[in-house]
Amino acid sequence: MFTDYIAEMTATFIDPRKRVFVGYLLLAVFIAVSWVCFYQRRSFRDALALLFSPAIWLSSSAKLDYLLLVINKALMLLLSPMLLAQLTLASAIFYGCYELFGQRTIVLAEAPDWVIALLFTTIYFLLDDFFRFFTHRLMHRWPWLWAFHKVHHSATVLTPLTIFRTHPVEAIIFVLRSSCVQGVVIGALVFFLGDRADIMTVLGANVVIFIFNLVGSNLRHSHVAIHYSRSLELIFMSPAQHQIHHSVDACHYDKNFGVVLSVWDRLFGSHHFSQKQQTLRFGLDASATEVSHSLWSAYIVPFVESAGCIKQAIFRLTRCCRLWREQRIGFRTPTINKVPK
Amino acid sequence: MKLQKIIPAVLFTSVSAFTFSAMTHADNRYADFPVTVHGYKGKATTSEKYTGQIARHLLHNSLKKLAAKGNGEANPALQAQMMSYYAGKETGRAIIDPTTKGSFVIKQSEIDAVSGGKNLAGKVYGGVISGWPGNMTGPEMLEFMIAKASVANKGYDPLTGYDYPQLISKFIMGAVFYNQAVDNYLDEKLAAGTKPNDKPYKEGAAYTGKEHVWDEAFGYFGAPAHTLALSASDVYNIAKKKPAAFAKADHNGDGVVDVVTEMSFAHAYYAAGFDKSGKTQYLHNITRAFVDGRRLITNAKGAALTQEQRTRLKDYAAVIATNWEKVIAEAVFKYAGSTYKDLQKLKATVENNGDANAIFRQYAKHWGEMKGFSLALQTGNKNLGGVAVKLNRLVGFSPVLLGNTQVNDIDSTGVYVQGPSESLEGYMLHMLKVQKLMVDEFGVVARNNDALESLGSLATKLGSGKHAEND
Repeated sequence: MFTDYIAEMTATFIDPRKRVFVGYLLLAVFIAVSWVCFYQRRSFRDALALLFSPAIWLSSSAKLDYLLLVINKALMLLLSPMLLAQLTLASAIFYGCYELFGQRTIVLAEAPDWVIALLFTTIYFLLDDFFRFFTHRLMHRWPWLWAFHKVHHSATVLTPLTIFRTHPVEAIIFVLRSSCVQGVVIGALVFFLGDRADIMTVLGANVVIFIFNLVGSNLRHSHVAIHYSRSLELIFMSPAQHQIHHSVDACHYDKNFGVVLSVWDRLFGSHHFSQKQQTLRFGLDASATEVSHSLWSAYIVPFVESAGCIKQAIFRLTRCCRLWREQRIGFRTPTINKVPK
Repeated sequence: MKLQKIIPAVLFTSVSAFTFSAMTHADNRYADFPVTVHGYKGKATTSEKYTGQIARHLLHNSLKKLAAKGNGEANPALQAQMMSYYAGKETGRAIIDPTTKGSFVIKQSEIDAVSGGKNLAGKVYGGVISGWPGNMTGPEMLEFMIAKASVANKGYDPLTGYDYPQLISKFIMGAVFYNQAVDNYLDEKLAAGTKPNDKPYKEGAAYTGKEHVWDEAFGYFGAPAHTLALSASDVYNIAKKKPAAFAKADHNGDGVVDVVTEMSFAHAYYAAGFDKSGKTQYLHNITRAFVDGRRLITNAKGAALTQEQRTRLKDYAAVIATNWEKVIAEAVFKYAGSTYKDLQKLKATVENNGDANAIFRQYAKHWGEMKGFSLALQTGNKNLGGVAVKLNRLVGFSPVLLGNTQVNDIDSTGVYVQGPSESLEGYMLHMLKVQKLMVDEFGVVARNNDALESLGSLATKLGSGKHAEND
């Protein structure tokens, strides 16, 4: 278990499939410095301050990010074997397709291998990105889920390690989402495309995610507001747009849920362009002067809040049911039936 | 002065290391177990003996070779020869396989040089084989197959898709070797009052009852005595008689491979084949359990085993039985995958109006291996119940033939009866389900020829996603 933990922790920074692979981090630094110095025409010192300021990295908010990274790694090692594996679902989908269609006809059997791989990679990317967006949207719209996702939004400073500021319940939801998407895609596409179905990779990482990470995905959680042109921001989510998502400004609430593509936000009406020279405060509440970055608030409080939300929802539901029943049977309250004196 | 201290230290360390390795090596071989029979007056200095079981391996290997000798016409001489190796006990039977191959020199050339008066028929699982048409018992089925093989061209019947050498060989490995080991020697024979350890196995024997019972089970597994000093690849290559494996096989360096102690047969060969990938350890798990169990019995020094010793011995027996069953299940999995691939090629060839003969022959071979192993799996010490029913129904009595027919019975004159079956496409799904059954019910790990391998490799490439990371 301990060696698995060390291996997992090490892989976080040396596996090109991971967001915080050291190569991507170094490139992000390069992009950020270039942006600040050449685009914003500010000094190199300013760039370093934005990226490496101790006020950011040694803040209580950032320290909670580090703690959650360390603790969650161990928790997920324990929990993940109990969760649905994508291969289990993929096999079930594959068999299900056989039962449903009775036979297997390989589609595009004459197409070259790269076409099949491109098709598989594209379909997987689109579905994965959409369901990341949609799950994120639900995290904001359903109060009992927001109670857990709030942990991530409670960050008052953003660093690439803020991606690890995640409640375990939220992590489980992400795992299940990922397993479902991968399972369905792998099972169905292998059935229809055959054994040539493959993901296009660079250094072992999905090529789309590789490019996404290469162009500075780590800067989504940073204080460097890199924006794209408006036409590009209609399609791709810029770091500045994601920082808006973390903003305490009420007009930025529930905006920009997307990961790679911003088209989903356009479709669902939650798209927000970035603003040039935007300066944002991050966190949950604009009025809050002191925010708790304790383990208690990160791990335990969300359960209490979520339970409260569920309890309220049940109360509202039962009240609705009672009122509906009363309306149906024409029940009159005793006050109506009282004979006036 | 320092040198005076260093040299002896180095010498002492070297001698100690050599002695330790020699002792360790000897301890890990299934060999050189001392005689523990009280009052033994014979000349033997060691007690392990399993020559009868090796003789049966030789008979099985030879019978498989003979089953492929037919020329497509009635051949009573061939049938008689096969029956001699199957049921006969006559002297003078030559070892047809394994024989010397180039620099891989086999010591023995006759069955009697290993053990005389042995046959396979007397040890075959006697129950009804429900996975074979005609409601036959194990011995009846084998005699039936031998008769059919003798008239088939090289043992292959294209009208039914039966590859008799494969069917006969894989079934015998289960119905004789596996069944005798796990359902006899490692089961009933381990009972307290049966073949006790405080008495010789028979009058004048150099081995006790329990020692010989254990030895016989080991013999049926088919591993070289020095397996634990070899890698899985070594044991695999020894069975294949590869020239490079000769030095590994010839443990005592006498320039020949002794089939009794230095050759690899049957399920030991298959276990080694699966272990080569590094995903499994069947060969060493089974052999180590055999060695440890034998050592336990030897350490009783000819006294009756205590309850605690018998419990530990049964634990070793359970390890052997569990791993052995998995080896056979892995083989079913592997050949179901091979059959699936053959069906894919066959379907494509038929759709393109190509010549399907060569592919069909391969399909028949792989099917025969799968069928033989699937029947073998059902001859162990536990009733597989519904699992066996599922397996037999998925595989069927014969491969699905090109006219979408399958053998479904044998008439009273011994002629196969065919009826409508699944399509080739539908049968492919059956092969996938056979693989799934092996995974779900037997927990196979090596999974060679996994028809759904692409699912697994894609899942690995996409990564498990089991991380607490936001986007």
